[in-house]
Amino acid sequence: MNRISRSKLQISWIALVALVAGCDAASPPAFRLNMVEAVSRETSPEYQREIANVLGALFGTPDEPFALPVTGLDGAKLRMAAGPAWSDEKGTTVGLYRKHCVHCHGITGDGRGPTARFLNPYPRDYRLGVYKFKSTFNPAKPTDDDLHRVLVNGVPGTAMPSFALLPGSEVEALLEYVKYLSFRGQMETQLISYVYDELGEEEEEDENGNLVPIPAPFDPASDGDQREAVMDMLADVVAEWEAAGEQIVVPTEATIPADERSPEEILTAIEAGRELFYGKRANCATCHGPTALGDGQQDDQDSWNKAHKVFLVETARQAESIETREAQAGLDAAGQQLLSADRAVFGVWRKVADSLYKTRNAIPRNLRQGVYRGGRRRIDIFHRLYAGVAGTPMPASGPASPGAQGTLTEAEMWHIVDYVLSLPYEPPSQPLQALPVNVGEVL
Amino acid sequence: MKRFWSLLFLLVPIGGVATFVAAPYFQIWLPEDVSEHGRTIDDLFKFILYLTGIVFIITESALFYFSWRYDATTNADPVKYSHGSHALELVWTILPAVTLLFIAVFQMEAWARAKMKPPNIAPLVEVTGRQFNWDFRYPGPDNKLYTADDIVRTDGKLYLPVNEEVLMKITSADVLHSFFLPNLRLKQDVIPGMDQSMWFKAKKTGGYDIVCAELCGWGHYKMKGRVYFLPRDKFDEKLKEMRQEQDTMRVEVPEEEE
Repeated sequence: MNRISRSKLQISWIALVALVAGCDAASPPAFRLNMVEAVSRETSPEYQREIANVLGALFGTPDEPFALPVTGLDGAKLRMAAGPAWSDEKGTTVGLYRKHCVHCHGITGDGRGPTARFLNPYPRDYRLGVYKFKSTFNPAKPTDDDLHRVLVNGVPGTAMPSFALLPGSEVEALLEYVKYLSFRGQMETQLISYVYDELGEEEEEDENGNLVPIPAPFDPASDGDQREAVMDMLADVVAEWEAAGEQIVVPTEATIPADERSPEEILTAIEAGRELFYGKRANCATCHGPTALGDGQQDDQDSWNKAHKVFLVETARQAESIETREAQAGLDAAGQQLLSADRAVFGVWRKVADSLYKTRNAIPRNLRQGVYRGGRRRIDIFHRLYAGVAGTPMPASGPASPGAQGTLTEAEMWHIVDYVLSLPYEPPSQPLQALPVNVGEVL
Repeated sequence: MKRFWSLLFLLVPIGGVATFVAAPYFQIWLPEDVSEHGRTIDDLFKFILYLTGIVFIITESALFYFSWRYDATTNADPVKYSHGSHALELVWTILPAVTLLFIAVFQMEAWARAKMKPPNIAPLVEVTGRQFNWDFRYPGPDNKLYTADDIVRTDGKLYLPVNEEVLMKITSADVLHSFFLPNLRLKQDVIPGMDQSMWFKAKKTGGYDIVCAELCGWGHYKMKGRVYFLPRDKFDEKLKEMRQEQDTMRVEVPEEEE
């Protein structure tokens, strides 16, 4: 009797120790693979592992980030931003990303932290390397100053707060880490494409001596060609970011309105802006609505939601195709085989599709609220018009790259800036009185 | 141990009083007061603290005495039941009632001055709470809010003139918030759809905390800001600077690093 109870005691002790140890040994946070991308590109689990390995070698882990010298990223800043949130006796804080950002933007920077689900708009997914509020041409990357402005001013109208009260060094560290997550995310997409597009099949002898095709392994550590290809990709990603400084949209001095203008001059500019707003060339009213309340065309998505929407539509198509075939009588052996193969694929798709949040349409901004997400400096509004809002249906009115031809002239854009900035202060009854002469073409 | 419980309960008044006595020496007492009216609030606070403190010590001592005197392990006296005393009941009903009434009347002027009698001046700034940031809107040169020359800042830094009566409008863009200025002894709940004001005169330049004092969602803890009190000329300069920034029409292209 005594012995039994003692052994019972031992077992419960072991269980307790295992429980405590288990808690301690919780696996450190890891970067998640972009499954939407991987599954759409038919990346096999083996390839997924190999891609994760390569990304790990290039960028390290969330606890120990690592950046090759070619990225130009500052390792010290990354270490300050990464890892668990913690501060020492002197008040130096590390783990800044996890302290301030992770609950929305997620450990991978995929905009899918625990609170992301409750936010509208969803937090930014850094992995595309696309940023909305910047001073550069539409396809170009943002400059450090642009990212800095977003961190300091927040994004009014969204859940992104200002981090202006953090010490400058901490803001710099976070900025570096955001770029790091973008580099990593962009590389991930490129590696998935590379594996899908470039790697073929190799032949290998099985145990009977027959040659069977197997997918070529993705192992840049031992394969020089692959290593070179990966490093080229990284260099391209970095080059794009480094070129941002040369892609800044600088308004032509001659077209910039004077600092001090008489009320009549401003009124004339506003009138001209209104004309353009409703005109066919600028075409603002189509989306922002004839009343500028953002109630025009609303059924488009931004790049982030569109990618998910495409994935969800394809998943639904597969489900329907499988259902139709299951309902069919007399499927032959080949058909049956194909059906079960499709079912296996669909299983993977559905799992990823179930993990996605509801996609949302891009709703054009209500211009009468006076809330400007990308900043309310006149130059900010000008940049939104000139370069559009990258990743969204808001098109660029200026050229897409230096020297090219845009839809509107800069002087015209400045008129629209004046008009847009006057909209929140227009009496609610005025829009009707102020409908432009070409109203017939609009409605 | 005999009388263990009575001694344990004695630790409550001793610990309680010791905490309040020691607090100022550990910098966990009231934050620095930089406002003109804050003195009144602090005096009220201290008055009520002393009043309740004395009552606290008396009742706790009585509690200790009874548990000490009538400890079951040491007390051999037979139990006596008393069925209440009319006089005693009257005393401990009327005394607190009168005290509470006194406090209610005594603080009326302070409350009215803080919450009911806004100065007849134009608001210097409008504060908007939103999940999870404080946004500030200053009237432009025309001194009128909600006109095209307003300056709107979202970086959580509020600039105000020192030694001057300041009137602020406070609104919310979404849910309940509470605009709390601990160093000015002011707190105002912010209710969507309701126009509220806050007024004060700061006596000292410098930067002080702004916090949200009403649980407003998961990001409540990060909803903080900083208020800076500047001399009038510096404040005017700051406004001009912010206005110029808002009117910026040029970009600064960083010099190429070689």
